[in-house]
Amino acid sequence: MIGKKAGAKKRAGSKGRARKASAGKRVTGGKTGGGRTTGKKGGKKTAQRSAGRTLRRRAEARRTRLIGGLRWLARFVAVGAFALGLWLSSWVLDLDRLVVARFEGRRFAVPSKVYSAPLVVYPGMDWQRIDLSGWLLRLGYREQPEGGELAAGRFEWRPGELRVHLRAFDHPLRPEPARRLVLRLGEGVIQQVVDLQDYSAVDVVVLEPEPVSAFLGSNREQRDLVMLDQVPRHLVNAIYAVEDRRFERHHGVDVRRVVGALLANLRAGRIEQGGSTLTQQLVKNFFLTPERTLERKGREAVMALIVEARYGKEEILEAYLNEIYLGQRGSTAVHGVGEAARLYFGKSATDLSVAESALIAAIIQSPNGISPHRRPERATARRDLVLELMHEQGHIDDRELSRAVAEPLRVAAVSPESGEVRYFLDALSQQLPEVYDEAVLASEGLRIYSTLDPRMQRAAARALRAGLERVEGRVSDDVESRDRLQGCLLALRPQTGEVLALVGGRDYGASQFNRCTQARRQVGSVFKPFVYVAALDPTSGPAATLASQLEDAPLVVDTPAGTWSPENYDHSFRGVVSLREAIERSLNVPAARLAQHVGVDRIITMAHALGISSPLPRVPSLALGTAEVSPIEIARAYATLANGGRRPTPRTFVDVVEAGGMAHENRPLEGSVSVLDPATAYLAVSLLEGVVDRGTAARVRASGLTGPIAGKTGTTDEEYDLWFVGFTPELVAVVWLGYDEPRSIGRPSSYGALPIWTDFMKEVVGSRVRGAFRRPAGIEEVEIDPLSGARALRGCPQHRRELFVRGTAPVETCPPGAAVRDRDRRPGFFRRTLKGLFGR
Amino acid sequence: MNGGASTGGSGRRSGRALVALACVVVLHCSLIVMLAGCGMTGRGHRYGGAESMRLSEVVGQGDPARRASTRLVAQGLEADAAGAAEQAQGGYERAIQVDPTNPYAYLALARHRLDASDSGGAIELLDQAAALFETEGLAGPRVSAHLIGLRGRALHSAGRGQDGVLYLERARELAPVVWRDGYLSAEELR
Repeated sequence: MIGKKAGAKKRAGSKGRARKASAGKRVTGGKTGGGRTTGKKGGKKTAQRSAGRTLRRRAEARRTRLIGGLRWLARFVAVGAFALGLWLSSWVLDLDRLVVARFEGRRFAVPSKVYSAPLVVYPGMDWQRIDLSGWLLRLGYREQPEGGELAAGRFEWRPGELRVHLRAFDHPLRPEPARRLVLRLGEGVIQQVVDLQDYSAVDVVVLEPEPVSAFLGSNREQRDLVMLDQVPRHLVNAIYAVEDRRFERHHGVDVRRVVGALLANLRAGRIEQGGSTLTQQLVKNFFLTPERTLERKGREAVMALIVEARYGKEEILEAYLNEIYLGQRGSTAVHGVGEAARLYFGKSATDLSVAESALIAAIIQSPNGISPHRRPERATARRDLVLELMHEQGHIDDRELSRAVAEPLRVAAVSPESGEVRYFLDALSQQLPEVYDEAVLASEGLRIYSTLDPRMQRAAARALRAGLERVEGRVSDDVESRDRLQGCLLALRPQTGEVLALVGGRDYGASQFNRCTQARRQVGSVFKPFVYVAALDPTSGPAATLASQLEDAPLVVDTPAGTWSPENYDHSFRGVVSLREAIERSLNVPAARLAQHVGVDRIITMAHALGISSPLPRVPSLALGTAEVSPIEIARAYATLANGGRRPTPRTFVDVVEAGGMAHENRPLEGSVSVLDPATAYLAVSLLEGVVDRGTAARVRASGLTGPIAGKTGTTDEEYDLWFVGFTPELVAVVWLGYDEPRSIGRPSSYGALPIWTDFMKEVVGSRVRGAFRRPAGIEEVEIDPLSGARALRGCPQHRRELFVRGTAPVETCPPGAAVRDRDRRPGFFRRTLKGLFGR
Repeated sequence: MNGGASTGGSGRRSGRALVALACVVVLHCSLIVMLAGCGMTGRGHRYGGAESMRLSEVVGQGDPARRASTRLVAQGLEADAAGAAEQAQGGYERAIQVDPTNPYAYLALARHRLDASDSGGAIELLDQAAALFETEGLAGPRVSAHLIGLRGRALHSAGRGQDGVLYLERARELAPVVWRDGYLSAEELR
C-alpha cells in the first residue's frame, strides 16, 4: 500500500512538472510579444513582470523543495515501512517457531508417579489392622452413605459388611477387573468375600497400588495427561460456558468478547472481566508470564492467532485441558483436568459427573481462592453459576441442572505426601537403571510400581517421629537445636529383599541425607552376631558351639597401635559364662575373646558373606562393632540369618511402565543366594531369640509382642549411636538413632531404638507375630550341663537342652568320664519310628 | 523329648516294650491303609507307589495367609497354562507378598522362570523353595521330584547338560509320568 501511494505521488509530480513547463513557455511568449508593443509604460511592466517572474521562480523553488522533501519523506516512509514489515515478519516467525517447537515437541513435563505394592485382601485377614477404608480413601474411593447402587470407586459400610465397587486396575502386565464385592466382617477379621456379580465366594482380592509420590521437576508440577476422547463432553461444555463460549467459532482472539470486556471494565472503573479465549489462556500458560502489560497481551494475541492458524480446535482444547492450573497438592502445583479430577474427586476425568465437571470449570478462574477443600461454600456457589451458564447455553436441560445443583459437594480426602516417603524415592531412583535420570523421571510420566507397603511406611514414620521426640525430650531441653537427633527405620522382607518401609531421617525438608542407605555409623553390638556366626560355622571347623563356655575376665590384646583391653558395659567381669549368656547380655569381653579365637579375617569374611559391603577394619575391636556400616547393610545381613543363611538383594521397585502403557523395565523377584549353612543360621536365630526372651532386648516381650522374634541391641561408646535390629520369620526391621555430628544421646539402645521398633511392629503385625523360626535339617538337640557345657548324662545335676549342628555336640560328659550310651545319644524308640515313617 | 533320664525295673521295661510294639503295629497298618488310599484316589501322578505333588492338594491348607497365598499361586498357574505369562508372574509375586514362607510360590515361580529361559533365577528360587519345604516340614519324594526335575532343566539350559541329565533322570525315577518328557507344565503342577 505504502509503495503504491508513493508511486502515485511520483506519477502526479511528473505530470505537474509537465503542466508547469508548458505554462512557462506560454508566459515567455507573451513577454516577447509585449516588448514590441509598449515603451516606458512597457518598461514598468517589464520590471513588474520581472518581479513577478522572480516571485514565481521563488515559489516554484519552494514547491520544488517541498516536493523533494515529500519525495524523501515518502522514500523514508517506504524504507521504514519495509523495515517494520521485515521486523514484524521476523517477530511473527520467531513466535511461530516457539509455538511449533512447543506443540510439535513434548508439550508437557509429566512427573513419573511411584505406586506402592498392591494390597492383597483375603478371608481371615484383620481388616482393621490393614486400614481397609483408609486404603480405599487414599485410592480416591468415596464412601456412599445413602445406599443404593454402588458406582465404581464407591464403598458403603453396612452392619457387619463393607460393600465396594472396585475400579479396574490398568497395569499392562497385571490388570485387575472392576468388580463389586461385599466383605463380610466379624470377630475382627474378614469372614468372607463375595462377588456381587454372581454371588460366588472370592478367595483373594488384589486392591490396586496406592500412589505414594512422584518425581517432580524443579517446577513441582503434577499432571495426569488425558486425551480429549477420555474427557466427558459435559466437562468441555462447562469450560466453554464459563471461560470461552465462542471457542469453536473464533480464530484465537474473540474481538466481540474483548470489546465487551473493555466496555464492562470501563463502566466498572477497574478490571472486572477478561477477554482471553481458551487459546490465549493456553498461550499465556505455555509461553508467557502472568504480567498484565500491553506488550504481553499483544504477544498473547498474535501467538493465539498463530496457534489457531496452525492447529485444529481439538488439539488446542486437549492441550488446554492438560495445561490449565487447577490448584495445589501441598507444595506441588496441580495442572490439567486429569490431575484435578484425582485431587478433588479421587477419580479419573472420564468418570466425572456434570456437577463435578462444573466445579472444575468453576475453579479455573482462581483455583486457590475458590478451592473446594478450603472454601467449599464459594466453590459450590461458583459451581452453581457454571451450571446456570451451561443451562443458559443449552448444554444441560432443566432436569440435569436441578440434579447437578442438588448434588452435595463431596471432595476426596486430601492426602498430602508425607515427606518421609521421599527418602524411599531417593533410594528407588538409585536402583533404577541410569537411563532414568532426573530429567526423564520428572518429565516422561512413567508409572513406577514399588515394593513399598504404605501401611508399614506410615507406621515407620510415626514410630520414628514419636521415638525421636521421646528420646530427645528425655535427654535434652535443647530440642530447638539445629543438630537435632536423627534416626532411620528400614524394614525389608528377608526372603526377597523387598524394601517395605524406609524412613531415612526425621524431616526430609530439612535434610535429604538418607541415613538408612547413605550413613555409615559405628554399629556397636549389632555386629556381635557375625562374630558368633563365624565361630559356629562348621564349614571351617566350628570354633564354638552353643554349649561353649567363654571366659569373662580381663583381656589384653597387643595391636600395632598398642594394647587393647575391652570392658563390659558395667565394667565388671563374671568369670565363665555360656555363649548364650554372653550374647544375651551383650558382654564385650567374651565376644572379644571369641573373636580372638576365631580370627578377625574369618569374621570379616563372614560379615561380608552375610551382606555387609562396607570395608571392615582388621582390628580386634571389630568384634565389638567399631566398624562403620549403613543400616541397610545391617538389615540385609540379619535378613540372611532370618532366611536360613540365604542372602537377599534389596529391591525397591517391581517394574516401570511408560506413559503409553507399555512395560519399560521389569525387575523380577530375585531368589536369594546361599551364603551360610541353614543349620548355623538357625543357631544364630536361636541365640538372638534368647536376646529378646531373656537378654538386653527383653523389653520387646515386655511390650506384649508374642511369637517368633529375634533381635539384637547395639549401643556404641558414649552412647553416640543406638541400634536395634529385630526380625520375625517374615520381616526384618532396623532402627538407628544418633546425631549427624556424633555426640552422646545419653540413653542406651534398649530405651532409645528398641521402643521405636516395638511401636512399629505392634502397629504392623499386632501383638502376635505370625509363623515360626523352623528348624532345618542338620540340627540336633542334646542335653547338656549348663555349668560345664558338657553332654549331660544320668547323674549330672543339671540338664538343659541345647541345639547343635549335627556332629558338633560336646564329647565331654557330665559326670566326667561317664559313657555315652546309645539312648543318651540317639532319640527314643518312638521318635525313631515316627521319624522313620514321616521323615521328622 | 528323648526322655533319656528315666529309670525303672525290668517289669516296667517289658511293659513299655509291649506298648511300643502295639503302637508300631498300629502305625504300620495306618501307613499301609493310607498309601493304598492314595493309590486309589486317582489324583496326581503315580510314581514308585506314590504320586507327584499337585498344588490343588494343598490349596485350602494352612492359616488364612497361607491359604490366600496358595490360591494366588493356583491363579498364577492357571494364567501360565492359559499363556498369560506376565499375569502369572504377578500372581506368584503376590503370593510371596502375602506369605513369603510359602514354598509352593517359589516352586511355581521357578518353573515360570524356566519357561522364560531364566535358568539362573530359577535355580535361586528352587533353592529357596527347597529350603522352605525342608523347614516347613513339607519335603519328601513327592515334592523332590519337582525340585530335582526343575533343577535338571535349569542346569541343562544353563549349559551344564550332563548334570542336568542326571537330575532329570532322577526326577523320571521319582515321577515317571510327569517327568518322562523332561518338562513340568503349569497344568501338571496345578
